[in-house]
Amino acid sequence: MRVRKLIYLLWATAVFLAACGGSGKMEVTNAWGRTSPAAAANGAFYMTITNNTGQDDKLLSASAAACATVELHEMYMRENDVMGMRQVPDGYIPLPKGQTVELKVGGLHVMCINKQQEFMIGDTIPLTLQFEKAGTMEVTAEIRDSAEMPANMPGMQHGGG
Amino acid sequence: MKQLLPLFAFLLLLLAACQSEPKYYGTLWPNPQEVADFTLTGTAGPVSLSDYAGKVVLLYFGYTFCPDVCPGTLADLGYVVRELGRDADKVQVLMITVDPERDTPEQLAEYMSHFHPSFVGLSGTEAEIAAIAAEYGVFYQRHEGTAATGYLVDHTARVFVIDQQGKYWLSFPFGMMREQMKADLQNVLRRG
Ligand SMILES: [Cu+2]
Repeated sequence: MRVRKLIYLLWATAVFLAACGGSGKMEVTNAWGRTSPAAAANGAFYMTITNNTGQDDKLLSASAAACATVELHEMYMRENDVMGMRQVPDGYIPLPKGQTVELKVGGLHVMCINKQQEFMIGDTIPLTLQFEKAGTMEVTAEIRDSAEMPANMPGMQHGGG
Repeated sequence: MKQLLPLFAFLLLLLAACQSEPKYYGTLWPNPQEVADFTLTGTAGPVSLSDYAGKVVLLYFGYTFCPDVCPGTLADLGYVVRELGRDADKVQVLMITVDPERDTPEQLAEYMSHFHPSFVGLSGTEAEIAAIAAEYGVFYQRHEGTAATGYLVDHTARVFVIDQQGKYWLSFPFGMMREQMKADLQNVLRRG
């Protein structure tokens, strides 16, 4: 009986910490990458970054053992559905305080150049993010075949993943 | 009762109209036209559009260096083709490279088969590819990237649907929902 009470207490504490853990921190959720064959020289990672630190920050760079070089890129659309890609201006992504910046298909991405391996669905790729003020952060990108989360996976329906 | 007859006739007409032309989510081309045949290079030599006569051909222009829109579109098409079930072999996805300098037929084949084993990638000379792209109103242009990426290619991100009669009248814009592409393809296949 006593053990069970202790478990409840621990569980409640964990829930409480998870719920309020966001305040004062840089939060990165839903990091994922697209499945990609070995024949593809490059890949892309996406994620949602929420700056709760109370001050403006920047995502300066990222690195991954799976990529020879990593750059921060954006897609742009020209007239008549013509799409292109370029490095973001000055190489960094601005993260205004209190705001959420989404890296997503057709928009911003972490560009994995000269990919060192095949990305198969279900693989997890460790990434290191370098923020100007918030320092470094390790995240894990899950390899998927699309941005859409599998509908039949319990607990995955929330946008934050 | 007599007053109701015109209304009844009108409703019947309405029903007939919506049965003949289903709603398409993609972009309809106002004047359907038979497309010209072309021949490019695959891993086993020349490949012509006419090799796939009788199938619905989904034609895309992209390149293997592209990490975002191309794999996104091809993953969507892979999903849709698998979802077609028994009709999957009535559909052929072809990608023509807009980067023949870097994309070899072997590299294209490996790249395409990652998304679906039936997908085919085609390369050719700059002139051959430019001529086909022009026919579909596809634009592509190189620009300098960074030292790490080398040059990149801006390109039209649209999938052209050629029906089983060899006619083009429908295309899928970038970012179209998978379920919508699937519904459109089912309607195209129903027409035969
Ligand atoms: Cu990029």
